[in-house]
Amino acid sequence: MARNSHEKRTERQLLLVLLPSLVLLLAFVIYPALYSVYLSFTNEALTGAAALRPRFVGIRNYVRLFNDAKFWNSLFVTFVFVMGSAVIGQFVLGLISAMALRRPIRFRQFFSSIILLPNAAPEVVAGFMWISMLAGGEHATLSRIVAFFGINPADWLNAFPLSMIIIVNTWRGIATAMILLTAGLSTIPAEIYEAARMDGATPSQMFRRITLPLMMPTILLYMLISAVSTIAVFGLVYALTRGGPGGATEVVSIYIYNQSFTAFQLGYGAAVAVVALIISLILGIGYVRAMKVEV
Amino acid sequence: MKKTVIGGLCAILLSAVSTLAHAETIRIANHGQAGIDAMKSTVERIEKKYGVAVEVVEYPAPDKDYLTKLLTELGAGNAPDLFSIPTTAAVADMVEAGYLAPVSTEFKAWDGYANLYDVAKQLAVSPDGETYVMPFMLGIQEIYFRKDVLEKAGISTEQPKTWQELLDRAAEVKRKTGSYGLLFPAGVSWGSGAFDEGFQHLLVGSKTPQLVGADGKLDLNGEGVKDVFNVYKTLIDKDLMPVQPLLGPEPWVVPKYEMFPAGKLAATTCGSWCYIFDWGRESKNPIPDVTKIVGTWTVPGQSGGQYVLANLAAPWAVNSKSANVELAKKALMEIGSVETQVSYAARIGNIPASKDAAKDPEFQKLTELVPIHAAAGNGVFLKQASGFGTVAEGVARATEALLRKETDAAGAQKILVDYVKETLGDDMVK
Repeated sequence: MARNSHEKRTERQLLLVLLPSLVLLLAFVIYPALYSVYLSFTNEALTGAAALRPRFVGIRNYVRLFNDAKFWNSLFVTFVFVMGSAVIGQFVLGLISAMALRRPIRFRQFFSSIILLPNAAPEVVAGFMWISMLAGGEHATLSRIVAFFGINPADWLNAFPLSMIIIVNTWRGIATAMILLTAGLSTIPAEIYEAARMDGATPSQMFRRITLPLMMPTILLYMLISAVSTIAVFGLVYALTRGGPGGATEVVSIYIYNQSFTAFQLGYGAAVAVVALIISLILGIGYVRAMKVEV
Repeated sequence: MKKTVIGGLCAILLSAVSTLAHAETIRIANHGQAGIDAMKSTVERIEKKYGVAVEVVEYPAPDKDYLTKLLTELGAGNAPDLFSIPTTAAVADMVEAGYLAPVSTEFKAWDGYANLYDVAKQLAVSPDGETYVMPFMLGIQEIYFRKDVLEKAGISTEQPKTWQELLDRAAEVKRKTGSYGLLFPAGVSWGSGAFDEGFQHLLVGSKTPQLVGADGKLDLNGEGVKDVFNVYKTLIDKDLMPVQPLLGPEPWVVPKYEMFPAGKLAATTCGSWCYIFDWGRESKNPIPDVTKIVGTWTVPGQSGGQYVLANLAAPWAVNSKSANVELAKKALMEIGSVETQVSYAARIGNIPASKDAAKDPEFQKLTELVPIHAAAGNGVFLKQASGFGTVAEGVARATEALLRKETDAAGAQKILVDYVKETLGDDMVK
């Protein structure tokens, strides 16, 4: 009986400790998400008659969305952006950096700092910095570099917009990938590598048979965080291209912004946001299930 | 301890008294440093005349971002009492949203009313017959061209009489000098400029010069709309207009501030502000002796006629949910004064809407603007309607597709019509 009352008291205390977080989650995550779902069934707008008298329009926004080529384009651009920058770029370079910096190389701290530097600059500042590097004309940084190799300068953000935002986002995300993957690498006991070496395993075999399988939970966790956060990237792309030219870099976050705050159609923008939320949820559930797989 | 408590109480009391002393405060929104500077003396005048405090809230400079922030605040009910509206196309929609307080009575009783150009008065009237804005400045737009570049190449500087003549002139510039011949703002990044500073110029001289029918519905399927897009297409296909800079995030920077001053772009649509802000005394890259080097053509009609486009330049309005609407309306009338008009003209280059400005010694010093002001009464304009903001965005999307060579004139018109129908509903479009 006494134990029960102790358990109850502990439960109450735990609830009390969790309460502020729960309130904040409700106020700033759950309520806005539910409100967005409600908005997506209305024609709510920031200006015009619908701003004064919004009305319920049923699934009209969703019907429009599934017939909207620009929406599908934004999903495709987002897919390429996430695959290019998060799944391939940041992961591969992050893993290489993590493995390289675990070795006893000279100036290790210096190299670590360089990799961490991109995170020191705010998104928009980093975006404007890259604009000056990728600008058209012979005086821009990248154009000068390629001119040295005899290649004609170009207006890189207009000529290769999607590739450029992938490169910039990769540059910005390597540090996060490196930190997470370093943590994963440090959980692998050194004895396993020693035993493998004594058995005559090559570095490539050790990487494929030891490092990758044992790192899998960390890799999946990284993929989850990185994919979901890359779907939500806004500031960097907005500063670099604003989704242009011609929708070439209009990732879904930019598309939501453009619908809500350029076309001022809050209802339709909310419908797109709800679909993006569902996609992120599906992705998240997929990764969480995959993480439960025994290695 | 006792002293500290008493000191604290005194500080609180002092703060309360000072708050009460400034109980009446008007918050005004302004954007762009030039606009803020232009309003400085007006703000002081309002404070002095009405014994109120005026708080100036600075907003992000680009018009598009400013409008977004302003509409968000108006929607949330926490917008400033007085604000400028960056594009005329947004006014009718803001009226429909109930954001603007009607000022017809005060406006007509205001002592500056009689001396306003008729075109300003007409532009200020909303589709419901009420006036909601102070039309104190006009944007008078024409085609600005580099006289020196044309003369040096032996190209006529005479006024082109039709669209075809204008296109032929642009082609001749390209052929003889290698420079781009003519720019019409286009594309999504330029924001409402694609409509305000480009599309409208040609539409007013086309076969279907208005976008609103007698029933108030938008008529976007007219032949004139397609013909206007065809002019864009010709300019783009024949490489007579710079395309790449228009696809970037700040599309006006390269053509207006670099190519035109360098003579690499021979002509562009622009307003009187180009003589002051873009290439004149307030410019960071001025063209010396700008009125001698840069001439103006009116915009020719499709098959004749000459058109000077007039619109309201950043008209000011009162927030309908202002805590003190009456005071805000008084301040609005103060903003309409000739003194404020001249201050704006000197810093930004827009044209005072009052005929009285011609007698103002400060305005007379702005020799670039005096002849434009004298002719401002001849300006033509598009009849405004609810949904114009959406039309402006649709034009931006349609012209962007043309810039990217993804469609032809008919396709661009379809993009415009589809976008407006999707956004506003089928019943808003004929």
